[in-house]
Amino acid sequence: MIYGRNFRPRRLLPFPLVTTPTPRGQVDTLTRSSADPLIHARGLTKTFGTFTAVDGIDFAVPRGEAFGFLGPNGAGKSSTMRMIACVAPITSGSLRILGMDPATQGPAIRGRLGVVPQQDTLDLELTVRENLYIYGRYFGLSRSVLRGKVEELMDFAQLSDRADAKVEPLSGGMKRRLTIARSLINDPEILLLDEPTTGLDPQARHVLWDRLYRLKQQGVTLVLTTHYMDEAEQLCDRLVVMDGGRIVAEGSPQQLIAEHSTREVAELRFPPGENAAAAERVSALLDPASERAEVLPDRVLLYVADGERMLARAHEQGLAPISSLVRRSSLEDVFLRLTGRSLVD
Amino acid sequence: MSATVAAGPDAAARPRIRASRWQVVEYQLYVGRRIWRTMFVVGVGTPLAYVLALGVGLGTVVDNNGNTLGVPYIVYVAPAFLTAAALQIAAADTAFPIMAGFKWIRTFHGMAATPLTATQICDGQLLWVALRIFANSAVYLGIMAAFGGTERWWVLLTIPVATLTAMAFAAPIAALAATLENEGNAFNMVFRFVVTPMFLFSGTFYPISQLPQWGQDLAYISPLWHGTMLARGAAIGHLGALPALGHVAYLLAWLVPGIAVARWRFAVRISK
Repeated sequence: MIYGRNFRPRRLLPFPLVTTPTPRGQVDTLTRSSADPLIHARGLTKTFGTFTAVDGIDFAVPRGEAFGFLGPNGAGKSSTMRMIACVAPITSGSLRILGMDPATQGPAIRGRLGVVPQQDTLDLELTVRENLYIYGRYFGLSRSVLRGKVEELMDFAQLSDRADAKVEPLSGGMKRRLTIARSLINDPEILLLDEPTTGLDPQARHVLWDRLYRLKQQGVTLVLTTHYMDEAEQLCDRLVVMDGGRIVAEGSPQQLIAEHSTREVAELRFPPGENAAAAERVSALLDPASERAEVLPDRVLLYVADGERMLARAHEQGLAPISSLVRRSSLEDVFLRLTGRSLVD
Repeated sequence: MSATVAAGPDAAARPRIRASRWQVVEYQLYVGRRIWRTMFVVGVGTPLAYVLALGVGLGTVVDNNGNTLGVPYIVYVAPAFLTAAALQIAAADTAFPIMAGFKWIRTFHGMAATPLTATQICDGQLLWVALRIFANSAVYLGIMAAFGGTERWWVLLTIPVATLTAMAFAAPIAALAATLENEGNAFNMVFRFVVTPMFLFSGTFYPISQLPQWGQDLAYISPLWHGTMLARGAAIGHLGALPALGHVAYLLAWLVPGIAVARWRFAVRISK
């Protein structure tokens, strides 16, 4: 078992994964009612002066779910995360976390959360081991508990061979893994991840996803923000798309694609300057109720039910794209549809 | 049952949260282990240099030219050095590490994600500086004693006096450090135009009665002068109880509001 004896699988699992199940793990899986959401927000609002960062959003996250906030920069994702982390006070609305009020029970809630902030807050002067140990001390964990815990987490984060190395020279991916390991030091019930893989290379991202997936399997509730659609599709059971401080869509990745896009997308590339005219001709072939065309400077995107058939019909009409491809609709199509293609910042 | 559910089924099994300011101090001890050489050089080198060059060296000149102070110059000047060094180290140890904690290495933001509160983080940080100043002052006093700069046991009081003086000044500095968003140029101003002049105009080297009236007025404002009067009083024994209480009250009038403002600024900065 990768987590060793103290890293108990909890929740969601009807049977214990480790060979020595603890009373706590059993109680959890037997008595936990999944009906009460761990996080419950109604009309949640955050303003900074006259600027409204989060504009009255509603959402609920049940135990064991991997829940994502998607949105462009400035959509209000990080402000929302900081309120859930009980670091920033809410301006108005209501927010309950683990059944408690962040305004009055912040320390008690934070004691049961794990936080992976957008920017690492590791102490670069200290070693990997010391970073984990000290962070555990902030939660009031005893030295003896931490001794074993730190070893397990270094193993989990694949950093055991760097245990006594200073953090400063570690790679970005290693630092990020250490931040995630550190956020698990208190066995959190909810893990908050604010853009966990931004700035990492593909290898490091996949290693991180693998670690997060394992946590999800263990029943840890994950709440994450990202603007990587592949990350959202990989990790999230359910997500909301935020734009301008509001939630503009909500559902599972599949639901969102079904609701806001078509099954397939045909991408037709014409010579520069001819795309708009081609789009006009091909539009006549679309089912106006469910299909649409979008003109980009270098190609035409056709959101259709059957891409190959549409491509064939376009050829019949005498259209001759330089190149073409048919693909499945992705979350990225939904995202761009909902939040627009123009830059907001 | 809703309350039980809200707290989670494993609330009882979960160790009670015992986050406190002492954990912030523990963190600083870990960091301190990495920079103990620097701390040692500052803690021992500076007093050695001052006590030797000014206490013993300048002291010989002063004592040979009709010293009217009633005690050897080193006994007069060394407690003032001790107090001034405490204040300067405390100011530097508050300003830049706190700025770094918020801005450069962001450790305070990491702490804020744990059960620690802004007040605990602020207090822990100040407590660490106070402990360091206390230890530093003890070393200083040892060096003073080794070179004949002490005459009575009461001189031990210079250690808490120096710590109080240092923290009275450091608490507002902590508030400033938690407020500044830029790269800390304001601190260069503080050190150049406040800390250094304070050392020169707080009766460190000679009684402030030697200063013109405006200089004396400046000294009365300076927490360092009040600290110096207390430390010197402890070392020589000429200070009455009432003036001593007055000096302590003045230093507390800096310390207590200073801590309150620092806690407030920590809370504001963390929740931003």
